[in-house]
Amino acid sequence: MIVALGVVISRELKKTFRQKSRLLASLVRPLIWLFVIGGGIGSILPSDSNSNYQQAIVPGILGMTLLFGSMLSALTTVYDKESGVMRMFIISPMSSYGIILSKLASSTIAGLVQVIGLLIILFTLRIVDVGQIHIPLFIFGLTCTALTCSTIGLITAVLSKSLDNFAAIMNFVIFPVFFLSGALYPIDNLPPVLHWVAVANPFSYGVDLIKHSITSVSVTPDFGKVPDIIVLFAFTVIGVTFSSWRFSQESTSAALVSILSKGRKS
Amino acid sequence: MVSPVISARNLTKRYAQNVAVDNLSLEVESGQFFGLLGPNGSGKTTTIHMLSTLLKPSEGSILINGIDVSQNPREVRRQIGLVFQESALDRTLSVEENLLFCAGLHGLKKRQVKERISALLELFSLENKKSAPVASLSGGMRRSVDIIRGVLHQPKILFLDEPTVGLDIQSRRRIWRFIQRLIQDQSLTVILTTHYLEEATPCDITSFIKAGHIVSSGTPDSLIKEFAQTVVEVECDNPDMLLKRIDIPRSQIITDDSSSILIRVLDDKKPDLEKIQTTLSEGAMSFKVRKPNLNDVFLWLTNRREGQGT
Repeated sequence: MIVALGVVISRELKKTFRQKSRLLASLVRPLIWLFVIGGGIGSILPSDSNSNYQQAIVPGILGMTLLFGSMLSALTTVYDKESGVMRMFIISPMSSYGIILSKLASSTIAGLVQVIGLLIILFTLRIVDVGQIHIPLFIFGLTCTALTCSTIGLITAVLSKSLDNFAAIMNFVIFPVFFLSGALYPIDNLPPVLHWVAVANPFSYGVDLIKHSITSVSVTPDFGKVPDIIVLFAFTVIGVTFSSWRFSQESTSAALVSILSKGRKS
Repeated sequence: MVSPVISARNLTKRYAQNVAVDNLSLEVESGQFFGLLGPNGSGKTTTIHMLSTLLKPSEGSILINGIDVSQNPREVRRQIGLVFQESALDRTLSVEENLLFCAGLHGLKKRQVKERISALLELFSLENKKSAPVASLSGGMRRSVDIIRGVLHQPKILFLDEPTVGLDIQSRRRIWRFIQRLIQDQSLTVILTTHYLEEATPCDITSFIKAGHIVSSGTPDSLIKEFAQTVVEVECDNPDMLLKRIDIPRSQIITDDSSSILIRVLDDKKPDLEKIQTTLSEGAMSFKVRKPNLNDVFLWLTNRREGQGT
């Protein structure tokens, strides 16, 4: 199991670094958000010397990087029919639990690697001040968020028959998870329906925990630290258990087995 | 008495509307080269998937090397190698990275398999492709890497489901030469399904499957002998019309498609060739008298209707 975990993680990292354009996109996307949205929206808000919109969305943008990095990694590879990796997994002696856990670990790490790249840029451009960061809590918050994003990806993967329609996943999973959270605006000011959706969204708590670790005046958390941690852990544990259970079901495995043979009727 | 290495009893696999495998039993002895043959949709792939733990049978039991497949599928997967129609390789990684990844999934460390990977690549004449990305390999080479992947963890039993499908004839021959050497070197038990019947000729035992059950089983030689002594192959445009003109028992005639008629010639009932030739001279394009092969047996077994015996 340890050896298997090692090769799954090392493969994921190799892929992350080899796909240069995807890696570049994962760094450019958050920067565009930070400068274009952060700068644009920031300019229409009443200017206040103490708060700064661009600063306020830094935790949300870090969360977005993890959402794209970890979630897409968990999502695509599980059902990646093109790469053939799923075929290698299902014919190996690994249990469905082991497959799901190794995917969880590798996509969490893939997301964190991308966020480290972004942080290096943010520190260099002095958008984030290291002095304002509670480092242990910051690392912990990023890791919990990455785990949660991977879990969202795994659940989506085990529930969808195929990922042919990538646009649908973008529209119905990634965008709602991102917009209906505290990533771009404080949850408290949202209209009631959106407020409750954001409160039910586990990603909100990840962003919130990252907010707690940054002591800038612009950043105001929505929930307490302890509720954040409890929600993130509970969601990950329940989500991973559900994904493993679902993955081991006949209906899922039969669909996967059919990718081993050409034109087999199910 | 040698106990069989694979023993399947009364296997049945039902899907919502249809029965893919119907009360099928089979046994394979250690070291045997076993061919499972049948037309598309006959249930051979489903059978292989059940034997290799990937699908659960609706009914029946399977023992692989004495281990109950439904009780301990992971232990069974440790002892078997699988090569399926679709390649199980990551196209973006190199040949060696793929093989190390797979070894890792089996819990084998790099230093444990490094030498074995080199030896196997050499056996398949791929030693110079070690660091090439799988996407850059030809179809035949990719298949070879797939087969190496299948035997990397030193399985006792190797399942080959259409190992040469979609390859050109040269690649197919090459791959078979490698597989033959592999079988000799590793003393493997091999379960093969294939569309190319001539590939099944070296099998120790071939079983023909139709509509989910085994219709005939035996050594290729005995099946061919049982089928006929010689075969008369008549090439023509309209077999149905010609058939009306010859008075040979229907059980001795096989039509496969719309272009030929095969007449089975059994020892005792020699048809009058000259007579056939004169009756059919109008409409037939060629007559050929030849030795029967597995293809003929296959056509005969899979095309005959129920109740139409020998």
